[in-house]
Amino acid sequence: MTTMEQLNVIFKTVFDDDDIMITPEMTANDVDGWDSLSHINLITTVEARFSIRFSQKELLTQKNVGDLIRDIESKLAAGN
Amino acid sequence: MLFNSLKYLLFLPSVYVVYYFVGERVRWCVLLAASLLFYAALNIPYLPIVLSLVALTTYSFGIWLDRAESHRSKRTLLWGGVTANVLILVCMKYLPFLSSNLNTVSAWFSVCNFSPAIFPTLVSIGVSYYVFQAISYLIDIYLEIEKPELHFGYFALYLSFFPKLLQGPIERSSDLIPQLKNRYEFNYDNMRFGLLLFTWGFFKKVVIADRLGFYADTVYNDVHAYTGLSLLFGTYAYAFQIYMDFSGYTDMALGSARLFNINLTQNFNSPYLATSVADFWRRWHISFSRWILDYIFKPLQMRWRDSKNWGTAAALIIAFLISGLWHGASWGFVIWGGLHGLYMACSAIWKPYQKRLYKALRVEKTPYLKSWQIFITFNLVSLAWVFFRANSLDDALYVVLNLIHRPVSNRIIDMLIGTGINQYNLMVLSISLVLILLVHFQSGKVRFTNCPTWFRWGVYFLLTLWVILFQAEGAASFLYLRF
Repeated sequence: MTTMEQLNVIFKTVFDDDDIMITPEMTANDVDGWDSLSHINLITTVEARFSIRFSQKELLTQKNVGDLIRDIESKLAAGN
Repeated sequence: MLFNSLKYLLFLPSVYVVYYFVGERVRWCVLLAASLLFYAALNIPYLPIVLSLVALTTYSFGIWLDRAESHRSKRTLLWGGVTANVLILVCMKYLPFLSSNLNTVSAWFSVCNFSPAIFPTLVSIGVSYYVFQAISYLIDIYLEIEKPELHFGYFALYLSFFPKLLQGPIERSSDLIPQLKNRYEFNYDNMRFGLLLFTWGFFKKVVIADRLGFYADTVYNDVHAYTGLSLLFGTYAYAFQIYMDFSGYTDMALGSARLFNINLTQNFNSPYLATSVADFWRRWHISFSRWILDYIFKPLQMRWRDSKNWGTAAALIIAFLISGLWHGASWGFVIWGGLHGLYMACSAIWKPYQKRLYKALRVEKTPYLKSWQIFITFNLVSLAWVFFRANSLDDALYVVLNLIHRPVSNRIIDMLIGTGINQYNLMVLSISLVLILLVHFQSGKVRFTNCPTWFRWGVYFLLTLWVILFQAEGAASFLYLRF
């Protein structure tokens, strides 16, 4: 599975919605229930699933799903 | 210079005429000179000096931050720039509060003869607003969201642009600086909309807010003379006074800026129709709440993310305590901020259960639930306003403890008249509020610019006439000016 596909599974679980299909341009405004509370659940779930830890700067500059995927992939590449 | 003063009504068109006739290359100089003149007209000589100090410090740190190579030196420079700005704000606004509280604490313990100096209270109009903008500018450069502005003139104008200098909106450099650099061309729609918005704000301030102020001030300046419904109506009157006052000011600021083809951030979106306190903060003083969310709440929430909802709750309480302190150096503001933080923290912890409860009761998305949520949110916000408005903590506690009390008179109208508002004021207020509601509910459905010319000019004429005929006696200062 690609990073995007794995992330899509996490989105479905966190937002309790099996119909979510994420895209790189997707932002919090596009997903019902993506507020600051569910965002924390999303980030901690991503960190646990991929065994990574985002820096404060990365978390504060992620503006959409594309940014999140970019940071996940760069962390995974740095770990390998 | 206040927006609702004759001076400003002469100043604004004069600046516009000069701006219109000078060459494109020096237009920024006209706006900067006008902004400094506008600030100097407050007759407080040290304020333009403080503004220049903030501008110079932030401009220099911005450039150093961008040029720094290592992460460590970037971090040091960020903290240097932010600390310099916070120190300026503390010196201007909080030293008397800090020293008097230190005195109280040292007197309690009386373990040593420590007695900090008593500092004079300084007038700090506008300082909180441009210091917050300066801090956001530095953080955005640190996060590499923005590049620093190299032209000092445009940077100084970003901080000091007169329509938003005294009371905001708090603008991001990325939103305002590009607009300040745009080539100016006369735009009839902007001119018309700007003037209409300015007049609409004037109407909200002088006809409604100042009139509601008669009642709120009468009650709050002598709370012990009232009980029950009088206190409740006094509190509701204040809730609407501060909304009309601040949103009126914002409309006048946005209207003034629009004459120069500049769009400032809209600060309000029907806040008293919010269905939760979190929703209220998405609708009230939006530019400020975004600042608090982006630069205080989010970094804390991310840092404490392993504690899940409890970390979020703690971040909310701290963010809102700082929000309270930003409004002023008094315990009333701290409690006001703390209450909002507490509301939101409880909501963060309660939210998952609330969702399940609504599902079980099958009331999700029903109009009854929405009305109930609006009613509860408005009353929670009004309860917090008690601490914001009361002249002392004792007064605030008296109001809270006596809000629900058997009324002396059963006739609400008698109570209102007994507290200073007369039938004439009540009539003007009622008609004006109906007008506000009409505009609110029609604005989404009817496009004003598409209405026939006779209707539009009729509205301009009647609105101006209404303002001239029914403005409340005695021009009152804007409530948010002191923050």
